[in-house]
Amino acid sequence: MQAGGIKLTLGVYIALFLTFLYAPLMVLAILSFQIGPEGGPQFPIIEWSTYWYQHLFGLTPPSRIAPLPIKEALFRSLALAIMTMIVSTVLGVSAAQAFRKRFRGQNFVFYLIVLGMMVPGVLVGLGMALVSNELGVARHWWGTAFVLHVVYTFPFAFLVMLAIFNRFDQSVEEAAWSLGVSPARTFRKVTFPLIFPGVLSAMLFAFTLSYDEFSRTLFASGRDLTLPLAIYGTFSVEVHPNVFAFGVLTTLFSFALLSVYAILMMLSMRRAKRIAIQEEA
Amino acid sequence: MIYDLELFKIGKVYDNGTPAVIDFNLTVEKGEFIAFLGPSGCGKTTTLRMIAGFESITSGNLMIKGERMNDIGPARRPTSMIFQNYALFPHMSVRDNIGYGLDVKNMPKAERNAKVDRILDKLGLEDVADKKSDKLSGGQRQRIALARGLVVEPDILLLDEPLGALDANLRKAIQSELKILQRELGVTFVFVTHAQSEALALSDRIVVMSNGRIEQISAPHELYTRPKTPFVAQFIGSNTIFKGAVKGHENGHLVVDTPLGLLSGDVNGDVANGADASVVIPAEAIELHALNEANRDMIAATAGGNIIDATVSRFQVVGHVAQVEVDLPDGRTLSLEAHTDKYSPGSFPVAAPIALTWKPEAATVIPAH
Repeated sequence: MQAGGIKLTLGVYIALFLTFLYAPLMVLAILSFQIGPEGGPQFPIIEWSTYWYQHLFGLTPPSRIAPLPIKEALFRSLALAIMTMIVSTVLGVSAAQAFRKRFRGQNFVFYLIVLGMMVPGVLVGLGMALVSNELGVARHWWGTAFVLHVVYTFPFAFLVMLAIFNRFDQSVEEAAWSLGVSPARTFRKVTFPLIFPGVLSAMLFAFTLSYDEFSRTLFASGRDLTLPLAIYGTFSVEVHPNVFAFGVLTTLFSFALLSVYAILMMLSMRRAKRIAIQEEA
Repeated sequence: MIYDLELFKIGKVYDNGTPAVIDFNLTVEKGEFIAFLGPSGCGKTTTLRMIAGFESITSGNLMIKGERMNDIGPARRPTSMIFQNYALFPHMSVRDNIGYGLDVKNMPKAERNAKVDRILDKLGLEDVADKKSDKLSGGQRQRIALARGLVVEPDILLLDEPLGALDANLRKAIQSELKILQRELGVTFVFVTHAQSEALALSDRIVVMSNGRIEQISAPHELYTRPKTPFVAQFIGSNTIFKGAVKGHENGHLVVDTPLGLLSGDVNGDVANGADASVVIPAEAIELHALNEANRDMIAATAGGNIIDATVSRFQVVGHVAQVEVDLPDGRTLSLEAHTDKYSPGSFPVAAPIALTWKPEAATVIPAH
């Protein structure tokens, strides 16, 4: 009886959770198939069509609704996310590696790094705008905004790597050293392959966080907009289902990215399992 | 003469001020098999890791082949370490694991492969050479680790509880292989263990440690029969210890006045009369005698006066082993074991008065420090 009650509560909870997670997405997905150009972003669906998808790629006859101004913004956001991912992951791995040994002021440095993901984004963005004005540095998505993205995502990469190194068996490295392998080579050939699953996770974090970063970018990116800013810009005029169609496509893109991650993860998890077995024995 | 390994007053203090190793002195000749033995936390592994270069040395000098090694990194020391958890490279095959130490030495491929094949053959690993190490048993993995450590031809092989993760049967097998391998290759081995049976069976000399200090350095037999400190007397073997004050020499043995009477044993060096000392008697040296009015003096005479009256509190035969528990006059209970040929069933009924004796030369007198 009691177990049944718990089961029911948990079931309802899961159902609600999934609803709130997916319902907004489902609504967008459904509305993206609204007829165009006269159909609006609301129910009921007048007629099913792929008009807005064609509209997105400029395949429809000209109408009063302008195509989404996102082509360049998409490129910028991808480039920014990739740059951020590379720099933050390198920094995160190096910093976590440094934290494996105790050093003076370790706790202070830890909080300093983690602060980067705690401080309110809008304020940091605004601050960066003021600083760059003061210094006479032009604001660009690849300059001022990029720096903020790194400051923001680096702590995530760092924390992921810290957890990975926490479980890392150092004797494997020591074994390599004692065989005459230099510390630098040991890191490349022994340590790195073993922590690679963690590096992948750090990369994923940095990429996705940067890709849809809004608040920090708002004031810091200058004239050229990134994707989240460009989409937000279209809202302020009038919302058409072409934004939904685009949302569906980017979600699919995210899934593709996740699949690549999952496959790489699976490959390296097999290796990690071997380590685990070795440690247990 | 150049020694393989010399430690001069080596000390290690952790960053928080805790001393881990204090004044460690040891000189090891080429081809010696040395064991560091002690309870966990005694500093034996820390000392080994200082020799390997994994831990910094706070004070003293570490010399390998006459060269000071204190500030040399582990990769540039002529040592190789074997770990309890094997520490194989999980992303490499057995062959690549073993050859990895040679790959960084810019050795011609043919020579490298020949060396790997030779050591694979020596350790009976040819059949698993191309497998991944995770598919193998603990014993095989420890052999791979040994092969990997030995193929680079280190001057000194350091072994950190290498048998600790193996089950009892495998441990025996690998233990004897290890001994044969060491004799054959003539490589100096430094072996850390908390199991005295391993240390006694394998090593030429044993360094017993406790609380960061060396208690005694001796060959196994001497360590077992002639402990030098109270710690060693309690840690090694199964000894009975009686405390008292030194009374003097008699018939070449040292007599100690204890609450249970005058007891005697052998001693290393001089001990002042009246000094506190303990008589340490190995369980194997103790003889039991059924006692009656008439025979006590005769029994005492055969044992040089070393006699203690006691009563049997338990007698049990397990297969061919007789287990006897006796109550001593000072309230302690002593457990002894012997073959039933010696203590036949029924020979020591419970509550019967008996006498314990031992030959003075079998006991050791340890001055209290």
